[in-house]
Amino acid sequence: MKILLSYLGNLKEYIIFSALIIFSLLLIFQNDNIQIRFVRVIAVNVIGVVQNGFSIIPNIFELERENKTLRETNIDLSKELSMLKEAKLENLRLNQMLEFKSRTNYRVVTGKIIGKTLIQTRNNITINIGEHDSVRIGMPVITDKGLVGKIVATSGSFSIAQILLNKDLKVSAKDQRSRVDGIISWDGEGKVRMKNVSKSADVKVGDILMTSEYSNSFPSGIPIGYVTTDNTIDNLFKNIEVECFVNFETVEEVFVLKYLSEDERKDLEKKYLEKSK
Amino acid sequence: MKEYLKYSGIMLALILVQKTIINFIDVTEFKITPDVVLIGLVYIGIKRGKITGSIAGFLSGLILDIFSFSFIGLMALSKTVAGFVSGFFNENTKMERYLNSYIFILIVTFCSLINNTVYFLFYFQGTNLVFFDIVLRYIVPTTVYTALFSIFPVLFARRRRFAR
Repeated sequence: MKILLSYLGNLKEYIIFSALIIFSLLLIFQNDNIQIRFVRVIAVNVIGVVQNGFSIIPNIFELERENKTLRETNIDLSKELSMLKEAKLENLRLNQMLEFKSRTNYRVVTGKIIGKTLIQTRNNITINIGEHDSVRIGMPVITDKGLVGKIVATSGSFSIAQILLNKDLKVSAKDQRSRVDGIISWDGEGKVRMKNVSKSADVKVGDILMTSEYSNSFPSGIPIGYVTTDNTIDNLFKNIEVECFVNFETVEEVFVLKYLSEDERKDLEKKYLEKSK
Repeated sequence: MKEYLKYSGIMLALILVQKTIINFIDVTEFKITPDVVLIGLVYIGIKRGKITGSIAGFLSGLILDIFSFSFIGLMALSKTVAGFVSGFFNENTKMERYLNSYIFILIVTFCSLINNTVYFLFYFQGTNLVFFDIVLRYIVPTTVYTALFSIFPVLFARRRRFAR
């Protein structure tokens, strides 16, 4: 300690001188004139150059912190990107649906599919709209692409619809080009087929099929799909395979058409059938 | 203590002279004046050493700064450095020789050069003047003018010694 004090005593001239210099510089830097601003600029540049020189030495702790922050940012950005992509796709779908809604003549209710079965012989979808939204049993379900199915059960806020991939659903259809009629249904083995078409009927691959006016359940003119294969199965009928316009694996939003077949027509047809028996 | 009061009196008188009469004898278009305070400061530095020289330089510079109303601290800085440097000539055996001979002029010239360099380099920062302009227009003329003025105390001291 004594040695240190003695050493400091020898340096007292320099200590006092340094203190006075520092005090003078502090006084100088209290000024705010152009010279001091210039000196500050020089000081900042010098410090910047020195820091830049030292920056090549890696700081492990800083790097670790930076990595952690970058990883977190990356996760956040990925989430945001995913949400944005989802929003973009939803926007596209909703735009298409809005466009369809404006051009259709029927009143429609928009619903979101909240449940779906596609691997059974009787496939259905569950929609998040029900009786509170004026959805009734028998109403057709469609998208802007074409026919999906029809409502078979309803509750206050939900409804279940049979889709074209359901053995129980049979749709009266017509070839848009040749006006040939037939019945479209699913064979339960992966193919939608148009049946009851005579061998001589004019049906070609690529022809568009749509609901016909003979249908009790659906208004006419709703697109269903197009012909992919046209074979003769026996001497009487054709074997026509149909590719649906609606992709049931990806469809997310649907419209329920506020359309019910006329009761009077139904009754008349029923009476006639009973009489003829 | 008496001695310190004497030095304080001398410095205050020189500051007063510097801020009043000296302005009438400026030369060149850049209004160069001798620095009589520095001459007094060098005298104190040689007499009393580095610490007294530094403190005297700081205080006298601070007073000059206050009177100049502009760049507080700059004259204090340059005079502190000059006072400290002059303290290096505080040697018991040679002190009288330094003070009473023309060596004093050389010491004043050296200290003035340091004082003016520090002062003017700071003072002209941010202006269009380059280093050589500052040296030629301000540092060298002020140093020479101050050195010329330091002849008077040497003459005065020699005359007094001769009278004794």
